[in-house]
Amino acid sequence: MADSNIQGVGLGLRPPHYADILSSWPAIPWFEALSDNYLGGGLPLHHLTRIRERYPITLHGVGLSFGSVDPLNQAYLKRLNALVDRVEPSFVSDHLAWVSQGGRYFHELAPLPYTEEALEHVAERIQRVQDVLGRQILIENLSPYVRFAGSDYLEWEFLSELARRADCFLLLDVNNVFVNAFNHDFDPLAYLDALPAERVKELHLAGHEEEGSFLFDIHGRAVQDGVWALYRQALQRFEQVPALIEWDTDIPALEVLMTEAAKAEALRSGRPVP
Amino acid sequence: MLPARQRIGAYHTSVDGKLGRSLEQIYPVRHRLVGENFVQAMASAILEHGVSRSPGLGDYGAAFPAFLSTFRPVQSLAYLTDVARLEWLWHRAFNAPDQPRLNLEALARVPPEHWDRLVFRLPAGAALIASDYPIHRIWEINTIPTPSHDVIDLDQGGIRILVWGDGHSTRLDLPSETGWQLLQAFASGVPFGELCRQDFDHSGTTMAELLPVWVQCGWLRDFVLQEEVDP
Repeated sequence: MADSNIQGVGLGLRPPHYADILSSWPAIPWFEALSDNYLGGGLPLHHLTRIRERYPITLHGVGLSFGSVDPLNQAYLKRLNALVDRVEPSFVSDHLAWVSQGGRYFHELAPLPYTEEALEHVAERIQRVQDVLGRQILIENLSPYVRFAGSDYLEWEFLSELARRADCFLLLDVNNVFVNAFNHDFDPLAYLDALPAERVKELHLAGHEEEGSFLFDIHGRAVQDGVWALYRQALQRFEQVPALIEWDTDIPALEVLMTEAAKAEALRSGRPVP
Repeated sequence: MLPARQRIGAYHTSVDGKLGRSLEQIYPVRHRLVGENFVQAMASAILEHGVSRSPGLGDYGAAFPAFLSTFRPVQSLAYLTDVARLEWLWHRAFNAPDQPRLNLEALARVPPEHWDRLVFRLPAGAALIASDYPIHRIWEINTIPTPSHDVIDLDQGGIRILVWGDGHSTRLDLPSETGWQLLQAFASGVPFGELCRQDFDHSGTTMAELLPVWVQCGWLRDFVLQEEVDP
């Protein structure tokens, strides 16, 4: 599953845009659907199915909770597998995170300590999920606001080794790297350089907010200059990897997202930025 | 550099925001009825008491109507809990799995000696709700653009609603008295033979006439023989 049929810059598929997409079929190369929104069925899945008839789709989730010590949620995995069978996505992805403890879900991507024990644990769970889905998945980096004492690895070392041990791919969120580098005072280029280029299959771009001396990853505004600059660096490192504009709160009109995507595509292809 | 307490606080704020927005999306009518400030207060209260047992954010809020019924600040709005129940059922039906129409060819193959054991099923995600208030009108007027002079009479009497979806649309249907009784029986898994023997007021309509109509409109979506019903 190393090759995919997605190219260029896609958009995160969000319900406020269903009507526009289904009526005008805009020139967007692919969409990324939040898998958790389509695990039931009904009208959301009906819309996704229609959109899938015209566009390649990737599925991006938050519920696999790879870092949790709870057993893998088999019911969730079964529903995800059924969705994958139906949508036939180019990629399936989730996060390097845990979202549950003792069967309680807190709906937030919590960070992990980057220890050998955590690495073994997460790699084994990713392998089990890949076995069920019958495909390699992509793991996305977070923007953790805290770091754990006693970590054995730096984040980029952890991700690289995780990809190797689990034989999975990576989804690199450029905004998250930027936010992390600012908040935790490291060189973002060192992060990019350390990742195995052949494992990075997709980039995410999003906006963040600054509060005092700290950045928060809120996905609620346009991509900022610093992230665009880092994206340029990422393009040099990862070349033709497809990218995605993510926008989750205060979602604007589709045209706004398409303008962001056009800018990202121009940077990819070396054309003048609109 | 931000103090550790504030960093942890950022997670707390993020979780509050996500769950609050989720409740707003599932309960838009309640949101309009009581206003932003009240909703924030309710969201904070339920977040303190609620525990999410599902990875799906959409599953959060199932317990909200029950919570609302015990939330003292809204006790004077007696209809609010029923409106919230209706909104939750609408949300469930909206997200229910696709289902094909009832397989008439398979039904025709059931031998007559087994007809008594036929159990007809409502669509996945369908639910019945009764209220002393016209909650369907409250729901409609707050979700569908209507003339501003529309007035709802809370004393107009009770209402019974079938909430269901067919994968393309979600509907609130108001069955007749006979229809309500039969829908309850179908929802409870009462077999066909027993239904025919029960003393329903069919208002002159026979079961043989009702069934095709209900299959046609999509209320009956599936059937099993009684032994096959899940325990």
